[in-house]
Amino acid sequence: MTKTHLDKDTFCALVVREQDTMFRAAKAILRSDQDAEDAVQEAICSAFANREQLRETDRFRPWILRILTNKCYDLCRKRRPQIDLADVEEYLPAPETDLHERMTLWQAVLALGEDLRLPVTLFYYEGLSIREIAGILELSEAAVKTRLSRARGRLRELLTEN
Amino acid sequence: MDQFDAYLRKLADQEPFPVPEDYHGKVFAALSALEETKQRRPRRRAWMGWVAAMLALVVALPNLSPSAAAAMGEIPVLGAIVEIFTFRSYSFDDGHSSVDVEIPGLGGSPAAEEVSQDVEYYTEQIMTQFRADCETLGTGYQGLTVTPQVVTDSVDWFTLRIDVVETRASSYEYSSFYHIDKKTGNIMTLGDLFDEEADYQTVLADEVRRQMEDRVDQGYFPESLESIEPDQNFYWDDQGGLVLVFDEYKIAAGAAGMPEFVIDRSAWEPLLKA
Repeated sequence: MTKTHLDKDTFCALVVREQDTMFRAAKAILRSDQDAEDAVQEAICSAFANREQLRETDRFRPWILRILTNKCYDLCRKRRPQIDLADVEEYLPAPETDLHERMTLWQAVLALGEDLRLPVTLFYYEGLSIREIAGILELSEAAVKTRLSRARGRLRELLTEN
Repeated sequence: MDQFDAYLRKLADQEPFPVPEDYHGKVFAALSALEETKQRRPRRRAWMGWVAAMLALVVALPNLSPSAAAAMGEIPVLGAIVEIFTFRSYSFDDGHSSVDVEIPGLGGSPAAEEVSQDVEYYTEQIMTQFRADCETLGTGYQGLTVTPQVVTDSVDWFTLRIDVVETRASSYEYSSFYHIDKKTGNIMTLGDLFDEEADYQTVLADEVRRQMEDRVDQGYFPESLESIEPDQNFYWDDQGGLVLVFDEYKIAAGAAGMPEFVIDRSAWEPLLKA
């Protein structure tokens, strides 16, 4: 299959178009603004260096999100977190919020376990399909559906607690 | 799609999402740092090979013989080496904003490397601010051009000029100058040229105002020149004359661009450091 050659101007325009999506996805995995920014910058460099691998410009978003996801997981491995929230999420209290304010969806997403935050972010914030999310996360479509279902259950608890 | 699912989609769509204030600027800076081709690298390797050989010669000679060491002192180029290469360039135009930036890199001596770092930081600040301005101002065409120029590269002196043009409804031009005295290897400002006791600031300001009086009908405002600062932009012209340069709008109407004033040698030469 013929591969796309992205010139720099086109590449930059596509990145600018996806920059907020990239930040949200990175933040969903890493939970830290600084780490998310670092991961985005690394993903930009890596994507540019490997842009010959992109088959169609229409596939830019899932393609760069996949690169970004891998960069985020590389960063996670370097950070070596002591616990995974997924193991203890049911025991965790919801993040503190003003009693007079509803928890925002993003606050609730950040309270989810690591394996749930990114599928939820890509599905609800970025409007990606199950198939696209499966491709980015290198999971089966069934696995993505299961995670979304678990996430919805937990989000329902978090968003109705207040 | 059930009701809760629709509710989540609605929340995701409507709730504001916090993105760090300087995030877009960092993305812009990351994009500007991307190098399009590899063609520049062989050129840089060739330069580094030449300089490495030159530096090796510099290091080796003094140990060979006293006469070689003495002779080396008479070779002016060994005071400070300055080599310039295009560090990176970036151009972008999406119809709403355009950027055409060339960031030079310098090397070959500590002063050159320090200037190189200063220039890199300076231009990245400009690009980050431009990107932030684009985000703030929204619609309307905005442009940024950064152009380096080697003004002087003689045996004794090196001057690099960075010209910036920002375009919104109208354009705004300004520049920065970087100077290296090759004899001493020092980075220089205007103030470093003159004796500490000399009141070069008053002398130069008076001369510039006098010339502005002759150009009042061209939109110059002599009263707007308060003083000449030690970091005033300047360069040496082909005859060794001192030329002072001002940013657009600073002392004259925009039609005057970036005004320049050649200062008569008789005014500044007596004030120089011995």
